[in-house]
Amino acid sequence: MTEIRFETREIGSLAKPVWRVKSFAGRPLEDGDIAEAGRWGEKLGVDGHEELVELLGRGDFGDGELAAIDDWSSLYGLRFLEESGLDVVYDGEQRRTEMYDHVIRHAQGFEQRGTVRSFNNKYYSKAAAVDQPSIKGPYDVGEYKFIAERTDKRVKIPFTGPYTMVDWSYDEHYGRTGALGATAEQRADARRRFLLDVAEHVIRPNAAAVVEAGCDWIQIDEPALTTRPDEVKFGVEAFNKSVEGIPSQRRSLHVCFSDYSLLYPHVLELDDCFELQLEFAQRDSRETGTSREERPGYEPLDHFKEHGGPDVGLGVLDIHSDFIETPELVRDRVIYAAELLGPERVQVNPDCGLRTRSWDVAFEKLRNMVEGTRLAEEALNRAHAGAR
Amino acid sequence: MQAFVPGIYPRSEALVQSTRDLDRGRTTPEVNDEQVERDLQELISVQQAAEVDLLADGMLRWQDLFRPLVEASAGLEPGPMTRFLDTNTFWFAPKQTGGAPKLEPVGERYIAPLPGARLVTLPSPWAFAMSTELTPKEIAEGVLKPQIDALDAELVVLSEPFLAREERPDLGTLAEALEVLAGGPELAIQFTFGDAKNVLEAGAGDLPVRAVGVDFYATHATDIPEGLGGKRLLAGVIDARSSALEDPEEIAGFVAQLPVDEIALVPNGDLQYVSEQIARQKIQRLGAAKTAQAKEAVA
Repeated sequence: MTEIRFETREIGSLAKPVWRVKSFAGRPLEDGDIAEAGRWGEKLGVDGHEELVELLGRGDFGDGELAAIDDWSSLYGLRFLEESGLDVVYDGEQRRTEMYDHVIRHAQGFEQRGTVRSFNNKYYSKAAAVDQPSIKGPYDVGEYKFIAERTDKRVKIPFTGPYTMVDWSYDEHYGRTGALGATAEQRADARRRFLLDVAEHVIRPNAAAVVEAGCDWIQIDEPALTTRPDEVKFGVEAFNKSVEGIPSQRRSLHVCFSDYSLLYPHVLELDDCFELQLEFAQRDSRETGTSREERPGYEPLDHFKEHGGPDVGLGVLDIHSDFIETPELVRDRVIYAAELLGPERVQVNPDCGLRTRSWDVAFEKLRNMVEGTRLAEEALNRAHAGAR
Repeated sequence: MQAFVPGIYPRSEALVQSTRDLDRGRTTPEVNDEQVERDLQELISVQQAAEVDLLADGMLRWQDLFRPLVEASAGLEPGPMTRFLDTNTFWFAPKQTGGAPKLEPVGERYIAPLPGARLVTLPSPWAFAMSTELTPKEIAEGVLKPQIDALDAELVVLSEPFLAREERPDLGTLAEALEVLAGGPELAIQFTFGDAKNVLEAGAGDLPVRAVGVDFYATHATDIPEGLGGKRLLAGVIDARSSALEDPEEIAGFVAQLPVDEIALVPNGDLQYVSEQIARQKIQRLGAAKTAQAKEAVA
């Protein structure tokens, strides 16, 4: 048996540094904000970060300065993930406003309809489709090239998926007439047409251009995929439409905060999707242990064992909590999954993007995730060596 | 024909910003409170202009349908973050931490005083109990009854987003809990955001409440039983999950075909699923639909 080695990666977003947020919002930077740029620049070994500190100290930013800050922010995000020890990196969506809004800003056929609450005092902007959606041209190629030119590690680029875009949007185009008292079939038909148009005319041309630029791993993010159980099949159809004809080496699908039992049997129809990156840690105990009882959050893995299908990107960090998972806790989560599914079907990531955590918390979590993964590898390799 | 607006109303863009600032330490709770008050006064004005029959306070401070009651109850705490139905909005499912829950009723911070006859929206006991080991009756006794006893309201709308989605809804346990809540303000049970066919077939018209609410963006008019057991129908004719604005004349024509004598026009659930600027237009159209229906009835 070959040595077990798990690949570690992030899922997408990191928080944006305060110096970036304030600069783009036109708010004055305080000394502490600039000091943060220096502190992280030093900690992450960002070459030339003194230039950024000097730039921030000057204040009063025009377009040129903001473009430079945008680049610095991306570079910091990239180095952050590299220094965390991850095998696969990105820039933490530093250039993107938010996963939904980023697409809407570059799409045609949508109009903003204001702010809706996500939970507590967290909100998101929501747009309505008022015409057939499309894009003027690819919009994430520059982001990819900037990252690829500055790292030797593998790069994975996330794209908000068509189902999530549709589910988080209003529809004033496809199902506009006859909504009051419409049949379920009429509603479903309108949703499906909306969905396939977004996949074909918004997601695919952008993802194809990023792959054309050299990216070999595209990740479709579908946090909304299971929100309407009877539409999971449409979501799978839309994933396939989104990646159709794109020659990337890897295509994966990220789904979180969802009922994973609803994914089956539909995910078996995903075209050449090598992995599902899923959230488990939020549901799990914080005690160590590798028994079934000690890992209640990983119960949904039973579906993947029973039905097969794509591999699993195992969520081992709770992204909604400042609780720092110890390496031993990560180790046990990975061991549990590897023993259940077989280590060849498991890789390691946080539950979701870490953008709601501070950089200090996110860094510590990721470092422990990598360390815990190495511990799991050691334990599993030792056990397998002993068994030989 | 009446019209009113139960449920959680969206926060204005100013209040959204204020609460964001509050979370980030950029403003104080006092300043945020002032913005809540401005939102409340604006909502009252919008409702008065639409000539609704009962005022609502929009539950502007409620972080979700359960939270203030959970936090005010011994034996309960907010549990895991859970997606609310098929929306991109989340709630924290009530979690039992001890024995029978005991509520210390929430006051004006969560149920704001209003200048006129009013309604109050509370979670249905069945929905509340769903994520706990408690029965709906235990929730009714320990949480909802003490709160209802402390209210001064014409109508309590019990919001029930989940039960209608059950293949074989157990109305017996719901009825048992509703019996506990009787004797005070009139009660309505509103089956929000979903096809009410199953609960209607199971006998929702016989529940011990004054009114039953149905979402007509998911339920066929033909599924409403003749007379609805003598209940008032809260007709969910404003789609709280769509930015498209309803046509008052279409609504008036639609409700005219419903086989129920007493109807109140309402949104099909909390208006918080659209932005405040859209929600206020929907309230205006709700009022206009009531007027249009009255004209149609005279004609």
